[in-house]
This record gives sequence, C-alpha cells and structure tokens, in this order.
Amino acid sequence: MAEFRAAHDRLAKAGYGVAVPRSFQQVAPIVATALNTDQALGLAPAASRLAIGTAPRTAAVFLDLAVPMARRLRTPQGFSAWVALILSMIKPAPESIAPLLARAEMLVERLGLDALSAWVQTGLRLGAGDAVKRERFFSLDMAEAQRLLERYAGEDTFQSLEGELRAFHRALWGRMPPLREALPLGRGHAALRASFGAGVVQLPASFSGHRGRERAVYKAALAHIGAHMAYGGPRYRVGQLKPLQIAVVSLIEDARVEYLARREMPGLARLWLPFHTVDPDGMATTPSLFARLARALIDPDFPIKHHWVQKGVTMFRDGMGQIENPALSRHIGNILGNDLGQTRVQFNARNYVVQPAYRDDNLGLWALPPETDAPTQQHQIEITTQDLHKSQLSDAPQQRKQSHPKDQQPDTGAEAVSAAPATPEAGRVVAHVPEYDHVTGSERRDWVTVKAYEPGPGDPLFWRKLEERHGGLLARIGALVRAASVGRARRLKRQGEGETLDLDAAIEAAINLRSGQTPDPRVYEGVSPPERSIAVHLLLDISQSTDDAVFPGGPKVISLLRDASALLAHAMDTLGDPLAITAFASDGREDLRVVPVKRFGDALTPLTGMALSGLSAGYSTRIGAAIRYAGQQLEDVPCHRRLLLVVTDGEPSDIDVPDPDYLAQDAKRAVQSLNARGMDTFCIALGQAAGQRHSEIFSRRGFLQLDRLEALPEKLPALYLRMTR
Amino acid sequence: MTPSSPLEAYRLPKAPAWHATGDELALFSAAFAVKLPVMLKGPTGCGKTRFIEHMAATLDRPLVTVSCHEDMTASDLVGRYLLGPDGTHWQDGPLTLAVRHGGICYLDEIVEARQDTTVIIHALTDDRRILPLEKKGELVRAHPDFHLVISYNPGYQSVLKDLKESTKQRFCALDFDYPAPEIEAQIVAAEAGISAQTAAILVQIGEKSRNLRGQGLSEGASTRMLIHAGRLMQQGLSVPDACRLAMIMPITDDPDMRAALAAAVDAFC
Repeated sequence: MAEFRAAHDRLAKAGYGVAVPRSFQQVAPIVATALNTDQALGLAPAASRLAIGTAPRTAAVFLDLAVPMARRLRTPQGFSAWVALILSMIKPAPESIAPLLARAEMLVERLGLDALSAWVQTGLRLGAGDAVKRERFFSLDMAEAQRLLERYAGEDTFQSLEGELRAFHRALWGRMPPLREALPLGRGHAALRASFGAGVVQLPASFSGHRGRERAVYKAALAHIGAHMAYGGPRYRVGQLKPLQIAVVSLIEDARVEYLARREMPGLARLWLPFHTVDPDGMATTPSLFARLARALIDPDFPIKHHWVQKGVTMFRDGMGQIENPALSRHIGNILGNDLGQTRVQFNARNYVVQPAYRDDNLGLWALPPETDAPTQQHQIEITTQDLHKSQLSDAPQQRKQSHPKDQQPDTGAEAVSAAPATPEAGRVVAHVPEYDHVTGSERRDWVTVKAYEPGPGDPLFWRKLEERHGGLLARIGALVRAASVGRARRLKRQGEGETLDLDAAIEAAINLRSGQTPDPRVYEGVSPPERSIAVHLLLDISQSTDDAVFPGGPKVISLLRDASALLAHAMDTLGDPLAITAFASDGREDLRVVPVKRFGDALTPLTGMALSGLSAGYSTRIGAAIRYAGQQLEDVPCHRRLLLVVTDGEPSDIDVPDPDYLAQDAKRAVQSLNARGMDTFCIALGQAAGQRHSEIFSRRGFLQLDRLEALPEKLPALYLRMTR
Repeated sequence: MTPSSPLEAYRLPKAPAWHATGDELALFSAAFAVKLPVMLKGPTGCGKTRFIEHMAATLDRPLVTVSCHEDMTASDLVGRYLLGPDGTHWQDGPLTLAVRHGGICYLDEIVEARQDTTVIIHALTDDRRILPLEKKGELVRAHPDFHLVISYNPGYQSVLKDLKESTKQRFCALDFDYPAPEIEAQIVAAEAGISAQTAAILVQIGEKSRNLRGQGLSEGASTRMLIHAGRLMQQGLSVPDACRLAMIMPITDDPDMRAALAAAVDAFC
C-alpha cells in the first residue's frame, strides 16, 4: 500500500497536472485486483514516461484505459505486452499514441495483441519520417490503414476475395466487366455500397457491420449487379422525378431484376434473403418502409402490415405480365414515390443509403448530368479500348456519356499517357556505338551516343488491366508454356547407352543379327535432362509512328507493343528464361534514346508493368545503333542461345540522315556483326508498309511481317514459343 | 471381307445411341460413300468418339480405334517384326489391319502423335490409297471399304501441336460442339436416365461452367461430365453432391474456380 502511495506521490509531484495522479489512484487498485500488484505499480513509471514523451493528457487516457485493457487481456503477460507496445511508440511516433489509444479497445478486440503489434509496426514503417501520415494512419484516416487492419484481423476483404468473385461473376453471367475496389469518397468516408456504371463494377473495400460473413455479402452484391446488367434496360432519364421517386424507382428495379434472375437461377434467393432482416412492424419511417417493401417483394412469407407496402406489392404482382420491361419499375416507382411524398414521412436524399447492404447505390441506373472532370475522359478512353478486345461487353459502356462520379482513379492506362513526346529530363549517356557507312565502306567508331531515359509515370494497375484485356490469352499462354514445358524430361530413343532397352531398337537389332546384317548398337533409351538455355532481348521501336492508331478509332500501335511485350515477358518469366526489354527511339546520332523497361537481372514485378505503361512514342528509328546497343547487353548473358527480337513498325530513318539506304545498310551490318558473335536477330515488322527493307536487313528468314497488328499480343508469345522449341 | 477376318473382333455388336444435333449423319455418310478421310473436331467430351462408334455400327463396319500419344511411333500404327519361336514374323499394326481388311480406322487425338507418325497416312489419304510397309517391303493397297477418321481437339494446344498443312488439307472436317441446351438436356436425360427437368438444370450448370472457359478453366464441363453427374443422381445423390463429385472436383484444383462453380451449382437449386 505504501508503494502505491509513493508512486502516486511521485506522479503528483512531477507536475503532470491533476488528471494523471487522479487516474492512477482510481485505476491502480482495480488493475491490482484484476491482475497483480506489479502490473498496477508498473503503470506509474509508464504513465510518467508517456507524460514526458507525449502529453500528460495522453498519459491520463492511457491510465483510464488500463482497466478495460486489463479485463480484456486478462493475463499479466498480455497486459505488460500492451504497456510495452505503447511505450515502444513514444520514440518513433509520439504524436500517434493519442489517436491509437482512442481506438485501442476496438483494435484489440478485432486484432488481438499480436496482430495489433504487427499492425502498429506496419504503420510506423509506412509513415516513417512523416508525422502527419503516421497520425492519419493511427486515426484510421487512411484507406491503407483500414485495409491493413482488415488484413491483420484475418477478415475477408475485397482483395482477398477478388479472384473468387471474378470467377463467380463470370460463371453466372458469362462476362466480367472490370472489377475495382471503390476508392474512398472523400476524407475518411469509405464507399458504403457497391456501384456500377460506365461498365465498371466497384465494390467497397469492406462492408462494415457484416464481419464474419464478408464473403456472403460480396457475393450477394456482385450477383445483384450481375442481375442489373443482365436484365436492366438503358439508363433511366431523371426528367421531373424527385429524389424520393428516384429512390423508389431504383428499389422496384432492384426487385424486378432480382425476380428475373431468381426465375432463371432460383438458388440466388438464398444469397439475398438473409440480408432482408427488417421487421414488419415499427415506426413508418422512410428507411423502414423502403426496407419493408424491398423485403416484401423478394420474400413471399413476409407479413405486410403497411398499406403503402401492400400497394407496392400489389402493383408489382399486377405488372408481372410485363416484368421484363424496365419501364415497369419506373411506372410503379413513380406512383409509389408520389404516394409517399404526400404522406408526411421525411426523406433525406443526402443521407439515404440503399438497404439492404448488398444492393448497389443505383447510380448506374440513372443518366445523371455529365460530369466535367478530366478523369472521366480518361476513363472513357480506356473503356473504349477494352471493348475492342472484349466484344462480350455487350452493354456498350462507351455510349454512356457519364462516368461514375466516384471513379476518379488516375487511369494512366493504355491510352492516357501516350502523347508526351518531349520528356523534359535529360538522358544519361550509357554507351557509344559504331555506325557503318555503306558509301565509304567503313565503320565509324563511337559514332552514335546512346542515352538511357527513365520511362514516364506508369500505371500501377497495368498487370491487372492486362489480365482484363487478355485474360483468355494469358490462360492460353500459360497452358502453352506448360505444354512446351521444356523443363520436362524427354525420352531419347536409340541411344548408345541408357537406363533401359529401347524395345523397338533391340528387336530390330536382333532381327538384323539373325538375318546376318550388322546391327545398330544403339539399343538403349534414356531420359534427357531438362535443358533450356535461351536469353532474349526484346527491342521495341517506339518512334513517333507508333502513336498512330492501328485502324481508325482502334488502339494505338504502342499500346499493342506494351501488351505484347507484357505477355511475352509473362510467358518467359514462367519458363524461367532471361529477358530484357528495351524501348528505343532516336533523335539524331547524338541521342539514341533507349528506355530500359526490364534488364536481364530484374524480376518481373509491377514495376515492369509501370515502366511498360509509361512508354511514350516519339522521335525516329535509328535501328542499327539500337541493335548494336542491345547486342552489347545480350552478349554478356551466359546462355546457349541468345536472341534479339526487334519489333518495329517502319523503315529505319532519322532526322540527320537524308540517304534512305544509309541506315538500312548500317542495320544490316549490325545484324551481321551480331550473328558473327553468336547472337540471332529476328524482326517482327508491323504493317504492310514494312517488308522490303526488312528482308534486306534481317534476311528473308529473319523477319516476319505482321499485317494484322491487333494480333500482335497473341502472336509474339506464340512465335517465341515456336522459335525456341 | 471374309467371315474369318481378323477385324471381326472390332465389329460393334450394337449401335450406341446418337442424338443428332444437325445433319452430321448425312454428311458423314456422304464422305464415307466416296471414302474421303474425315476429321472430327471439337472439345473433349462432346461426343466425337460416340459419333464414330455410332456411324461404324450403322454402316456395319468394324472400327479400329487408336489413341495417339506422344511416344507413338510409326511402327505402332503400321506394324513391326516380332521375334517368335520360329524366327521373326511380321505383325500388322492397327492401321494396316484396317487398310488390309477394310475397316474404319479412327486415330483419336492425332495431334498428340509425333509428326513422323502423321505423315505415314499421307499416301492413304489421297487418291493413291496405299500404305507402304517400308520394313517389310510391301505395298498394301487399301481395301475398298477402308475409311480413315481422325479426331482433333483444336484447343489450347493448337499453336504448338498443330497438324501440318499438308495433312490438314487431305481431310473433310466435321465440327462438333456441345449441343444446344434443349438437345443437350435430352441427351443427358436419356443417357443418365434422369428426368428432363433435372437434366435441364444440369445443362444450365454446365453452360455456366463453360463461361469460365479460358478464364481459369481450360474447358467447361463436357456433356460427358453432365451425364456422369446425372448417373450419380440416379444413385440418390443430390444435385450439388453429384455436381461436386462429377464436375467441380475433377475439372479444377483452383479454389477460386471451385468456389465459383459451386456458387453456380448453388444458384440453380
């Protein structure tokens, strides 16, 4: 007891104000009974350190928390770990302790102490050196913090379920519109509901209040959106409708598409029904009435006790004859909304959240006035290109003039970054290469200066989008790679030595012996060890002409180059073959601009995707110099076969060379010199214009002309697998 | 063909049922009448083998089936010398048997075979209709009733394993696919002995799985799989159980795909 008094006195005299010693006095005895005296006494120095390291107020909060924490953690070990965790934050992140303490009970409940500690460590690392960022993290004011919290809590989130959800949606509806995690609406406001519009489905990062059955709610939400997409009509025009009517029309439309979906797939009702939990009685507020109507329309056993709900159900039943017509929803919703508007119930459009939780926010149903922000535009473009690749996206999103207001992610996808010919930053000189002058028949040493440039800002979601554009192709390439699996051992017949007899050969030899001929002694069979030794340097021509569209309104050549290289990189990575990707363009002999997208040693990471998507077209094609440079890099790779794969869309040209033959002859010479050093060069010439020159440079067997440019992403990996078989 | 023909064992006692989905019976009969070689294309389990068995029995011809694999050599098809107690003797391979005695030779999954194997059928498939037995030094002229049929699954393997142009161009081709839903339901109902209603549900589930073709599954559930599920249901299994056993588990190991397929099954019952 005396020890307590001494500790209390120390706190009181230390000048932390009255709150700290008072809290200690209240808390310490309870902690002492709940755990033990040591833990209670240990609180005093801890509070003291906190008061000095942060603020006395934080120390008081910490002390007040001690009782609930002691109850929650139960053991002295757990409690001291908790105290140690807080104390460990004083040094690296004093400002974050207060926000953390404010949420401590919730955090400990969801995470437990170990996971909490891991989450705190992650937060500290994430906000290293940035107090504001740390504070936002520990206030859960950052989407990342929330997401990590969910991950550490072991709860299913959008990210953990994404793959399954995609497959689920595709299985049910035969198509998969791009699926995204909805970005937070604003500071600290996570999206609450799923949403679709402009052909993109957005699901919230998490559904609050459905812990433990995240999977069910995500599936229900996605199935509901699928029903909208399968059975919905064109967007409704808002016209003269009031917000209340819009809400009711949406509600009826939800019920209508669900009805149609259940008619085809009755099992979907089991997915949706558990979320309709409203009681038939109670106050007739708008949200409650809405929820009741929604439930009454899907659940035939729901007792209807309100006349408005009854009217809705009756109208819905009467309209069964034209249930497939989306206008029905508008008709019913219009009348019901009007009725409700004449009663005195309140409807607050601003705070209205669609119920139950799995239903989407219905913004995709309405043609709202177009937004004027720039990201919408970019988004629009991206969707258009996806449509070209995916004809099954039949709901023609590009015709919708309006993009989703929430969808403002920086879509630096395929097209958004293309036109930026002048990169302000200067290149780094990395090499000088010779050039051949066919007029004098001599090679000028160190004639062309090679400068390396960093790729422009890329799209972190490149791989994801690639998967969406070319999902089928990726799967096919995967299968091809497995089939080609050169890692697989091969059976070698008719060997001079081996493990087993080759029966065919043995019989033949015996027959030969008997017939008096000399038998072939190679009668064994063996298994060849898997051997594969090939390195590829992919050289992409990104001169100005690659900025053109493949056909009017189609994707640009450069975006096909990106996709094709990515697919090839994917295939080669699976096979384990070393690959480098370099893009090149030239601006005179002083500036051969090379962009190293991937070097030989680099692993294939999202960064590779970002670099690929960051490539921008511009300048000319000094192909010979590029080949020499690429050859230099390739030469050092210790592989049996080294292949330089050039993808170009035009003849060699540059601003400082008027003679059209000069660069072609130089390129030819470059190819020959590579051959002489044991490297193969193969060229894929894009477009019909290509041909004559390329057969001259690369020889007739060394190039392939590809007229149908759209096929490039498909052709390149297939070609590679064929060539290296 | 004499009654004691070595092909007698290859004769099918009874024609297996075939539900026509188009005019494939007439088309095949026409090709058979003039003995033009036929290529049957289509995904696995859509009924290629069943079709040829049905045709062979209908046309009353013995059917010699060879399943091709990648280690198959030409002598596996044509024949080889064997060592017997009295020295060596020649043993006809399945192809030679059919050529000599007049039968339908069906080379299943021909692309799996090595390329040197496929070229030996070249002389058989044009108007020469001969099979040179190099090792034996014999030239076998094809029996007038000899007919060559190959099957070919133009799936993912088509890039790496493709028939040579010169092989392809010798054949007529019949393209098979999974039948239209109503017909497929009839087939499943008849083959598995379940009600038309249940069969329709199975077919719908099968269609959903085909949506995932190329998106995680290399093939959707075949008609054969649906029939298997139906037959399991005849043994008293429920739809989800039968589908899990006969369809979901065999077709994929990917947990996401399994979950999606299970959800698709769930949506229908």
